[in-house]
Amino acid sequence: KLFHFGACRVSLSMTEIRAGFTAIKANIQSRDPVRTLSILSHPHSLHKVKSPDRCCVTHHLFTFYVDKVFKHCKTEDSFVNRKISSIANSFLSARRKLGQCREQNNCVCGEESTEKFKQILANYEGLNVTSAAMKSLGELDILLDWMEKSR
Amino acid sequence: GDVLLPAPQSISILSTNMKHFLTWSPVIVQGATVRYSVELQGEYERDHANGSWIPSSECAPTTATACNVTDDIAASVAYRLRVRAELGAARSPWATTEGFFNRVTTSLTPPVLRVLADGHHLLVELADMGPAFQFQLLYWRKGQENRVQQKVVREVSSVLHLDTMEAGAEYCVKAQAHVEAINRSSSFSPTQCVRAQGGTSLWL
Repeated sequence: KLFHFGACRVSLSMTEIRAGFTAIKANIQSRDPVRTLSILSHPHSLHKVKSPDRCCVTHHLFTFYVDKVFKHCKTEDSFVNRKISSIANSFLSARRKLGQCREQNNCVCGEESTEKFKQILANYEGLNVTSAAMKSLGELDILLDWMEKSR
Repeated sequence: GDVLLPAPQSISILSTNMKHFLTWSPVIVQGATVRYSVELQGEYERDHANGSWIPSSECAPTTATACNVTDDIAASVAYRLRVRAELGAARSPWATTEGFFNRVTTSLTPPVLRVLADGHHLLVELADMGPAFQFQLLYWRKGQENRVQQKVVREVSSVLHLDTMEAGAEYCVKAQAHVEAINRSSSFSPTQCVRAQGGTSLWL
């Protein structure tokens, strides 16, 4: 499917990521005790990110998940671990395309979006790492829904 | 004491139409049933998760000498795979694939197509190739090759109605498979032509 992130037009196969997440969503979200807090949506929703900044923010978020989230989500359930592996590898593949597009189009993050991403990192650092990682993974559909709006 | 098991030999990956299999030669131990375990390592595990390995969903363990890793390879990145033999508590060394495998290299065969004329109706039957596949059908009236029509089929149903034909005219169809996840298509199937019922009647 073709996604429009600001100046970037990227063909991404999100179907498998969505299917992989749907298969483990209930399991992952059951491991998130703090339901009142959000990593991605506090204090403002991703939907407030301006269109020109979407390419940069999406690339930052993919890097956030690859570098900080997936590695702290190992569980005792091999089915869940396999799905997380598939999602993580799909994120790598998608991030590579986004990175190329970002370079070609010189997508930069505006001030507001830089602030938004800093807030996400602050939300993440505010919890112990496993809780933060599980909560972030449990919020993957928030990211996917926001990206789907970019089609 | 425990048996010393050799690592499986001749391991290779066979991938056709987005179905991926790891195969190896059997490890023979007289009078015993040897089992095998398969693990995978994607680019993420290699570069971001300390080179960890993920047990396969189908073969942990198995007595077969082939493992369907299709569900485990759900991303278009470079994977490595490994297999070892197991007998009781004994474990062989791992045998790891030489290079990497990326599903974008899967070989795609043309779709299996059957074209039917039902009176004036041009019908097509397509063999299902799996959830990753969609199909592009090209069809035209014989002699009017410059007016080819196209239809994209995302889900295979039993019979597909393509067109209503003119009496007695001959229509031709060919199809190719497309996998969106890897953005590749197969070659076209051979062209098949059928003739519509009816035609010129002689006025005496």
